[in-house]
Amino acid sequence: MFLHYLKYEILSSLRVKDLIFWLILFPIILGTLFKIAFGHLYEKFETFSAIPVAVVDEAPELDSEFVLKMEIFPTRDIIDSVSEGDQPFLKVTYTDRKQADELLKKGKVTGIISMEGKLSLTVHDSGIEETLLQNFVDRFNSSITVVTEAITSNPNAEAEIIQAISTEIKAVTDIPLTKGNTDYYTEYFYNLIAMVAMYGSLTGLNITIRNQGNLSKLGARKCCSPAPKSISLLASLIGSFIVQSICMLICVSFLRFVLRIDFGSRLPAVYLAAVCGGILGVSFGFCIGSIGALKTEIKTSICFAVSMFFCFCSGLMIGNMKIIIEEKAPWFNKINPAAVVTDSLYYLNVDKDYSRFQTKMITIAVLSAAMILLGFGLTRRKKYASL
Amino acid sequence: MEKTVVKIENLVKRYGELLALDHFNLEIKEGEIFGLLGPNGSGKTTTINCLLSLLTFDKGNIEIFGKKMTPVSYDIKKEIGIIMQDVAVFEELTVLENIDYFCGLYIRDKALRKQYIEEAVKFVGLEDFLKFYPKKLSGGLLRRLNIACGIAHKPKLIILDEPTVAVDPQSRNKILEGIEELNRNGATVIYTSHYMEEVEQLCTRIAIMDKGKKIAEGTKDELKRMIKNTETVSIDILNLPDEVKSEISALPHIYDTIYNGEKLTVYCSGGKHNLIRILDVLQKKDLSFGRVYTELPTLNDVFLEITGKALRDKEE
Ligand SMILES: Nc1ncnc2c1ncn2[C@@H]1O[C@H](COP(=O)(O)OP(=O)(O)OP(=O)(O)O)[C@@H](O)[C@H]1O
Ligand SMILES: [Mg+2]
Repeated sequence: MFLHYLKYEILSSLRVKDLIFWLILFPIILGTLFKIAFGHLYEKFETFSAIPVAVVDEAPELDSEFVLKMEIFPTRDIIDSVSEGDQPFLKVTYTDRKQADELLKKGKVTGIISMEGKLSLTVHDSGIEETLLQNFVDRFNSSITVVTEAITSNPNAEAEIIQAISTEIKAVTDIPLTKGNTDYYTEYFYNLIAMVAMYGSLTGLNITIRNQGNLSKLGARKCCSPAPKSISLLASLIGSFIVQSICMLICVSFLRFVLRIDFGSRLPAVYLAAVCGGILGVSFGFCIGSIGALKTEIKTSICFAVSMFFCFCSGLMIGNMKIIIEEKAPWFNKINPAAVVTDSLYYLNVDKDYSRFQTKMITIAVLSAAMILLGFGLTRRKKYASL
Repeated sequence: MEKTVVKIENLVKRYGELLALDHFNLEIKEGEIFGLLGPNGSGKTTTINCLLSLLTFDKGNIEIFGKKMTPVSYDIKKEIGIIMQDVAVFEELTVLENIDYFCGLYIRDKALRKQYIEEAVKFVGLEDFLKFYPKKLSGGLLRRLNIACGIAHKPKLIILDEPTVAVDPQSRNKILEGIEELNRNGATVIYTSHYMEEVEQLCTRIAIMDKGKKIAEGTKDELKRMIKNTETVSIDILNLPDEVKSEISALPHIYDTIYNGEKLTVYCSGGKHNLIRILDVLQKKDLSFGRVYTELPTLNDVFLEITGKALRDKEE
């Protein structure tokens, strides 16, 4: 009986053209548009190459005590260290002022860093590379103050302090490169996945409509059959989960392998998060559908509107919406299904371990379970006052 | 004595203010084709939905196969075939898949189900449309699919709620014959309609409903005997003098005479040879007349006489 239900549940779901459009075609179109809109930006980071700079070593015209301290500060070592390795941050040309100006003019380098005790930066244009250089220089300079102060107060620990500070600067230049900046862009695709997951609510809503005697003729007809309603509901739910999961897998695969969006190295977990998100979406729709005695069309509109609201709040249309909400109502981000899904994907990419990801997955599980139980409780009512 | 299949006692159902069923009683015996006849809005569908435990009701008691009917009476539901007034099939499934789906809810054995489905398809004559989606079917074919989905599992009690709306006369006859055949094979049938001809032709017993009440019940002959009209004689005649009309009115067994300038209608109640006696009067006066015909009472007359209004509009 259960399998009989399941078979036709899946078969009929897969043939609903609306559903296929919203769940498969629409995200593919939107994803492609995102890619076209932000793609060039992304490419830059994808193929990030070291920023070319000219470094000018000029004699500091500062008071002798400071100069003394600067001599112990390994300016050159640090600059060298960020210019080495697998992913060098800078491509350094040591030269004098005149030649450096020449290079900058010709566009051979993005900026000139002059070592006159503190670092100072000369750039021509403004752009991402220039900003990154400025960040680096600022960071470097602020460290000098800290280091000099530390050394003054505790001359014995000099070596350790220098060690610590140079690691930190390296780390700082590392983060914007591999993560921070690309995330802003990838976030849109996380949101896209969350949107598809939330569209699952339409599939979920369909479950109640098709099983509830007062919502559809089909529901009424089913209620007359000798199959217990819980079995029919369960089959519908599982069928919808399967269909939704297929859509989620298609969506993630398309983004990852056709648009080549970088979701980090933990792809199986990304798929898992997307599938669980889809299940959450279906459960949400199922729950909405079972509340109240509203007409089918009204329920569909509510479902659509609420889903879009969730997506909006998690940043589908405006990128930093989630940040704004985090300040105003952080609890909402914790339970907004769309935000939970985007967060879980984000943490997968950013975090070294799975702890924050796990928290989000548990949230998804709890939310889904609660909605399914509520839905079941409300749908199982057997007789209706009016059909 | 035959077993009682359906028993409805004192059923009261309100939709808010509206009293849809007013202390409605019904008893249907095994092997009957029971007709529930009533105009639009008389409460036929409401009765069926209460019977199926789809609707809550305010008062009353419903038993099917001698057991109280509840939403979880799966053993009872197993034996019921329901053809709803509104077509209820999956838009996304083909004709064959739809029948298989519904039959599969009752019959688990695959081989048996296959055989039943084939029989159902033949029964409604949808052999050429198995791969069609419901959207591509005409109104009548869709109705037939609806019927096939309801009867494929060979239920003991078949409930049909206006199954022949929008079906052409030819397929309608086929459906009615089919229902008779199902009945011969042992099924009890409940048939609702506002087509009295259908009900007259098909049903062994009939209840007439109006405004949520049962106003009459019996075999069609019993129903017709309830009213005084036994025969209506109509004669096309021009220039009928008033005294002749009065003379005809004075004949025995005649309780009403209407003349509209072209046609004389005479309502008779009992007696024999009414027509001959009327024509005799006309002959004696040497009046020539055109077409002459007599009609036996219909269920419409029954309804008309009890409620004072026609069962349905003439043009329907
Ligand atoms: N869901 C509902 N809410 C309110 N009133 C209803 C509802 N369903 C039916 N009614 C009213 O109850 C009465 C009986 O309706 P019902 O559908 O049982 O009539 P019916 O005999 O089946 O008519 P038809 O021949 O048109 O199918 C009607 O007056 C109708 O307007
Ligand atoms: Mg009706």
